[in-house]
Order: sequence, then structure tokens, then C-alpha cells
Amino acid sequence: MSTLTLERLNKTYGGNVQAVRGVDLDIADGELIVVVGPSGCGKSTLLRLIAGLEEISDGELCIDGQRVNDSEPAGRDIAMVFQNYALYPHMSVYDNMAYSLKNRRTPKEEIRRRVTETARLLAIDDLLERRPRQLSGGQRQRVAMGRAVVRQPKVFLFDEPLSNLDASLRVQMRQEIRRLQKRLGVTSVYVTHDQVEAMTLADRLVVMNGGRIEQIGTPMTLFNQPATRFVAGFIGSPAMNFIDLAHAEQTPWLPASTPGGALTAGIRPEHLQLVTAGSGDLPGRIEMVEPLGSESLVHVRLGEHDPLLVVRLSGDELPAAEQPTGVAINGPVHLFDSDGRRLP
Amino acid sequence: MRYRRPGLDVATHVILIIGALIFMLPVLLALMASTHTLPSLLSGGLALLPGSEGLDHYIQLLTQPAGGVAVPTWRLMLNSLIMALGIAVGKLTISIIAAYAIVFFRFRFRMLCFWLIFVTLMLPVEVRIVPTYGVVADLGLLNSYPGLILPLIASATATFLFRQFFLTLPPELLEAARLDGAGPWRFFRDILLPLSKTNMAALFVIMFIYGWNQYLWPLLAASDADYATLVMSLRRLTIAQDGVPPWQLATTMTVLALLPPVAVIVLMQRWFVKGLVDSEK
Repeated sequence: MSTLTLERLNKTYGGNVQAVRGVDLDIADGELIVVVGPSGCGKSTLLRLIAGLEEISDGELCIDGQRVNDSEPAGRDIAMVFQNYALYPHMSVYDNMAYSLKNRRTPKEEIRRRVTETARLLAIDDLLERRPRQLSGGQRQRVAMGRAVVRQPKVFLFDEPLSNLDASLRVQMRQEIRRLQKRLGVTSVYVTHDQVEAMTLADRLVVMNGGRIEQIGTPMTLFNQPATRFVAGFIGSPAMNFIDLAHAEQTPWLPASTPGGALTAGIRPEHLQLVTAGSGDLPGRIEMVEPLGSESLVHVRLGEHDPLLVVRLSGDELPAAEQPTGVAINGPVHLFDSDGRRLP
Repeated sequence: MRYRRPGLDVATHVILIIGALIFMLPVLLALMASTHTLPSLLSGGLALLPGSEGLDHYIQLLTQPAGGVAVPTWRLMLNSLIMALGIAVGKLTISIIAAYAIVFFRFRFRMLCFWLIFVTLMLPVEVRIVPTYGVVADLGLLNSYPGLILPLIASATATFLFRQFFLTLPPELLEAARLDGAGPWRFFRDILLPLSKTNMAALFVIMFIYGWNQYLWPLLAASDADYATLVMSLRRLTIAQDGVPPWQLATTMTVLALLPPVAVIVLMQRWFVKGLVDSEK
């Protein structure tokens, strides 16, 4: 039962490369925070700062109100699940899970009890004698989880733990991680670049870009009220459409209350509709249709130099390509200023 | 890539058999010659068939001094064994610890240390033998086992090989161990050593044979017959006062000198091959 507090956390490499800049984050007890962002945004570095694998250049890191900046990784009572699992190849599953307990001089009986209990919880109790190389990817993933769970740490850290699994297994493990985390009630930080994973797992979502936090909030807040253009484009799939207002010829579809200084309008693909050519808010030409079964993505070219607009239709609507069309807006329009900040 | 063609199979086997014969021939000659009497050797040319003496020469050599050698050969074998084992074990120990320091610790002049070790790769014993002799003599280690072993105990090659192996290990392994509460010593003992087992076995074989075959250094450092090694004594045996070297004994001793390295290779063959080709991490 622990809280985690990050205050103006900075990480600078070699004096000039700033990987993490001024990150403030309060994580409540038992909360699952997902940190998401493009590669190189500093999310993994942030996780490693919390784990103690990297030195904090500036700022404070507190667990349960205790400053732990200078503690060794083992002293912070944190468990981490790695992307490549990092299981000890020469040890059996049992020994892999027992290793941290052995290092803490836990009595043998206690180790046996906790390992078997955890193994049962994760349904790997019949694999305890095997070596990691004799396991499938999903099983290794479970063992890596088990190694973290068995310690009963204050905080779990997950570093893209599902990215080496195939798609169906990923969905299954995602749900299991969620269930396990809620059941154990351990404060967790989960790093991923997959926004579906992020949306489904998170109590609160942290979007990072260029070492900074762009926005913190529940998944639905981030989806419905993105604070910046970056968050708007990052959350949601297919991504939000952006229309450059400075170069748009006519914008009668903008709400009358549009504040001055708005530079970009963002509209989600599901808030657009195809209508007959000549009607609707925007005229365009269908350039390509991607049938995905449950839905169809239609790429519409507005002007010659404008980017493509993606319209999301239901799966049975398959308009012909290379046809003029009208596009109607039937949802919220998000407006951003020249710095990419959301306008009310 | 493997080809499946009967003609090719036959050809490769012929080539392999010829190759094996070429390698076997000198060994076979030594083995046969060791069972002949000296006169029969001197008159009969190459001895390709077993002679009349059986194991007599072996028993003679192992139990009593012969020719220019003042101690029975079992003593030489023991000395060689101690030296070879000392060198092999010492090289392994020192180089794995050095590689551990170079790969897993960040300290000042780390790369300088590595390059200093690496540069000594290019300095064989022969180059530094005079100063080495001086140091060992000053330490009073001439004619002692430490004197035989210590100057040959560091290995840049083995350090380099261990370093390369350590670098192939995923860095997450160290990080996981750190989070699991393993300090530097535990990480070394619980994770690095077990993972290096096959490499150590392969290097042990190579280093044992290297140590066993040492000639020049023991020749200088072991002037006392009690510390003479087998390989350096081979030549001494052929120094004959009456002009005819005892070739029958020389070949016998050669065969004896072959046995321990062969035994080491046979015993450790499985590990040896595994260590050289294994990539399972």
C-alpha cells in the first residue's frame, strides 16, 4: 500500500541531452498509471528513474513520502517486469521467482509458500521445474510477472511487457494484468507505446512527448478533451484529422464562438460523414477506401495540398473510390492555438 | 548448408580419412618405436609394427631416472600437471574477474585498463622472458611451483573472450538482478558464473594444453630436477654421454607426454564444443 510522488524530475545525459524534463506526478495508492508516448519520448527513462536504474539528475522521488533518490534499486522495494522478461536463463522457474526472496534471507518455508501461491495465482504452477527456454512467450511473460508479484513490493513497474507477444495473447495478458493489479492493489506504473493498451489498462493516463508530460487524466478525459494537439493526435485510432485553418478557404462549419488565434481544427474520423457531392460542410474527393470488416476507412482529399481526411464508416458502407463527395461534421471540433494548446 | 549427394559423401570421407591418417602417423610411429629396442630402431628404419619390448620402456621410465633426466618420469608428469592446472585455473580465475570489472563496472580509466590488457596480447612470454626471469629470481621463486605458474597466469586472450561473452548478455539481466537485491558479488556468483560454464570449460581445455606444452619458461625457471617438467625434459633425455641418444625412451616419453592433454580433451569434449559453438543465452 504505497503512494509514489514525482516532483520536478529531471534526467540529463552527458550535460546536454534532456531525456526527462520537469515531470510532476502524484500516484495514489493502488492506482495503475499508464505512461504512453512515441519512442524516444522519455517514458522508459522515467520508469528507470523510478526503479533506480538511472540516477536522477534533479528533482525528488518519494515513495510513501520517503525520499528515495539515493536508494539502491533493491532498497526501494520496487519490482519491474521487463520487455524481454530478463529471466535468469540458467535457473528454473521456481528459482527465478525465489531469487529475490533468497537475497532477502526469507526463510525457506516462507519462500516455498509464497512461490507456490503466486504460481497458482498466475496458473504457472505446473511449470515450476522448467527452464525459461522451455517456455512459450506467454508463459515467460507470466513467470516475469510472477517474479514481480512474489516479492509483494510497494510498486510494480512494467516496461512494455506485452510488446513481444502476438496479438491475441496480448489482449488476454492485458486483461490478466488489469485483473491481477486490481486484486493485489499494488501501485503500478506501466509504460507502453500502444495506445489501445494504454486506454484499456489505465486508471489515469500520462502522455509524454519530448521528455515532458503533455497531459495527465483518465483515458476518456484525454480522448474527449485533449489538452494539446499532440495528445489529440496520439490518442485515438485512426488518428484525429487536423485542418490547418490559416490556409483553409472557407470555414463556415466552425462554431460561431470560435476564439481568435485558433490555428488548427481537429475532428475525429468517427465524427465525419460522407454525403452527396455538393452538400455537407467540406467538398472533397474520395481517394482510397480501406475495408476493415467491422468498419471502413475512407481517405478524402480536400484540396490539392491539403492532407487526407480520414472518415470512419461502418463496415457495410463501401463507397467507390475516385468520386467527388461531400463531408459533413457531426461531432465536436477541437481547436488548438499556434503552440498546439487546446482552446476552450 | 548441407548437400545430400552420395558421391560427395564418399569424397568427403576419403578426404577426412587421409587427413586423419596424416595426423595419426607421427603418433603411431612414436607409439610403435617405444616398443622396440634401440638396436632394432637404429637398424630397422621406420618402425611401423609393434616391437619386442611391450610396456617395458614405460615401466622403466616411470620408475627410474634415465639419460640426462635425474628423476623418474612420474615426477615429471606430476610437475607438468601441477603447472598446467595452476596456469589453466589461474588464467580462468583472473581473466573472468578482470572481464567482470571491465564490463560491469564504471570506473576511471576503464577503457585504458582494457586496452592495456589487450595490448599484452601482442607480447608473448618470449619477448619479456629476461625481465620476467629477473623478477622471479628476485622474489626467490626459481625452482618452485609458484615460480613456474605465476609468470604465465594472466591471459589477455581469455579476458577478451570473457568480455565479449559478457557483452552479449542482455543488460536487463543485471538490472533484474539489481532489483532482486543481488549485489555485485551475488550477481557474479549466481548469474554470471553459471552462465559462463561452457565458456570456462572450453577455455580450460585450451589453457591446460597451453600450460602443459610450456617449454622455454620451465627450462629457465626449473633448473632443479625436482621441478623439471615433462616437455622440457624430453630434450634432456636425448643428451647421451656415449653418443647414441636413447630413441626408444624418447619416443616412450613422447607418448607419455601426449596422454594427459588427450585425456583432458576426451573428458571435456562435450563441454568444449558446446562452449565454442553455443549461443543459447
